[in-house]
Amino acid sequence: MVSFVAGLDWNIFFQPAFDGSGTYLRFLLIGLAWTILLSVTAWILAFVIGSIVGVLRTFPGRLLPGLGAVYVELFRNVPLLVQLFLWYFVLPEIIPGLGTWFKQALNPLLQQFVSGVLCLGFFTAARVAEQVRSGINSLGRGQRGAGLALGLNLPQVYQLILLPVAYRIIIPPLTSEFLNIIKNSAVASTIGLAELSRQAQQLGEFTAHWYESFIAVTLLYGIINVTVMIVSQFVERVTRLPGYLGGRK
Amino acid sequence: MISIKAISKWYGEFHVLKECSTTVSKGEVVVVCGPSGSGKSTLIKCVNGLEAFQQGEILIDGVSVGARGTNLSKLRSRVGMVFQHFELFPHLTVIQNLTIAQCKVLRRGNREATEKGQRLLDVVGLAAHAEKFPAQLSGGQQQRVAIARALAMDPIAMLFDEPTSALDPEMIKEVLDVMVKLAQEGMTMMVVTHEMGFAREVANRVIFMDQGQIVEDRPKADFFKSPDTDRAQQFLSKILSHGVQT
Repeated sequence: MVSFVAGLDWNIFFQPAFDGSGTYLRFLLIGLAWTILLSVTAWILAFVIGSIVGVLRTFPGRLLPGLGAVYVELFRNVPLLVQLFLWYFVLPEIIPGLGTWFKQALNPLLQQFVSGVLCLGFFTAARVAEQVRSGINSLGRGQRGAGLALGLNLPQVYQLILLPVAYRIIIPPLTSEFLNIIKNSAVASTIGLAELSRQAQQLGEFTAHWYESFIAVTLLYGIINVTVMIVSQFVERVTRLPGYLGGRK
Repeated sequence: MISIKAISKWYGEFHVLKECSTTVSKGEVVVVCGPSGSGKSTLIKCVNGLEAFQQGEILIDGVSVGARGTNLSKLRSRVGMVFQHFELFPHLTVIQNLTIAQCKVLRRGNREATEKGQRLLDVVGLAAHAEKFPAQLSGGQQQRVAIARALAMDPIAMLFDEPTSALDPEMIKEVLDVMVKLAQEGMTMMVVTHEMGFAREVANRVIFMDQGQIVEDRPKADFFKSPDTDRAQQFLSKILSHGVQT
């Protein structure tokens, strides 16, 4: 293993990239930046939509929970790659006004980025919704009843009572979803967005240094994900309640 | 004050409440007892609309609970409720548990709400625990906080849904003491409980429920001396021979 790694040509990263953007190191770091930008933007979308859908699924009555369920099943049961192609190739063609604007007003890079964000955001939202729903349901009907009995209305019960506790409970699974979105962002390479895995592939193709390229990219993905985990554990620690859910008294 | 008129409730096919009627007058303490599954908790949750019912009418201070035009949140804010499992809000400190609804529902200022909360914590003997979180308190302490939280809204009546059933035996007394004091001060109370000692001490009337029906609804002395029905007699002899403290 050591001799294999040592036998590779690591100088490749300091040679000029084929597209004249600088060294191949810089070339990969540009990919890293796109991966982070894509993942974070998509995560914000996923978090907002997922929270709304998850809350709807716990509402009383049938209509709103039903709509939430339809959303979740739709986005969870179509392969991510297919969804990306739908966002990028199909929707701009079949939505008259907006589709034309998308194709004419946005440059290709922006088209790829917007499609990637929408695809990852809506897909991950379905999964976040399930986490939010299970977090709220884990509190039982008692907390809701206690809030209502004090005269709080339903939006207040969610905002002040249920969600602050539910979000704390689901920090670990939400972290997993954020890690997933980072890894899933590699699908954007299929529509040509110059994110990390696409850059690695390009580097391999132009220099034939496949091993070096993918070892470097694996490390970069690892560094992002470890960072996310550290941040998540920090958030978990500062929001932990004394005596509740494993918090010290 | 609370008037329950022939209410019926079904869970699907299951008939949980069968034409239950009773009234609780101002200052009266009514204890509701009966075997588990008899509908006691469901009945008391219907009173403040936490459970819906399909037939009948409940009036609180003249306002109909089930009617379409009723502002249910406003009505609920005037009726305190204490739950079996306390249901304190785990992410808020004890004092925040007492002030949140005062501020958000009654629009009291934070200072006024905190003063009120502190006063009530003092009444239930927990003034020193204001800044703790609920999970740092014992069950009995949590239930006393829950009572104080309900009282902070200046309720016209209080509902108790098995307030001591989830407590260790040695903590039951500290909660009952608070409730007895409340009753003696003239609070209108409807209490679902198996604590017959509490019923003996402060109840005006006892309601006995079985299989979704109000089987007996009588003044306390009559109920304990000679229950009308065999079912109530059996229940009483079982629960009293079990050695419930008085």
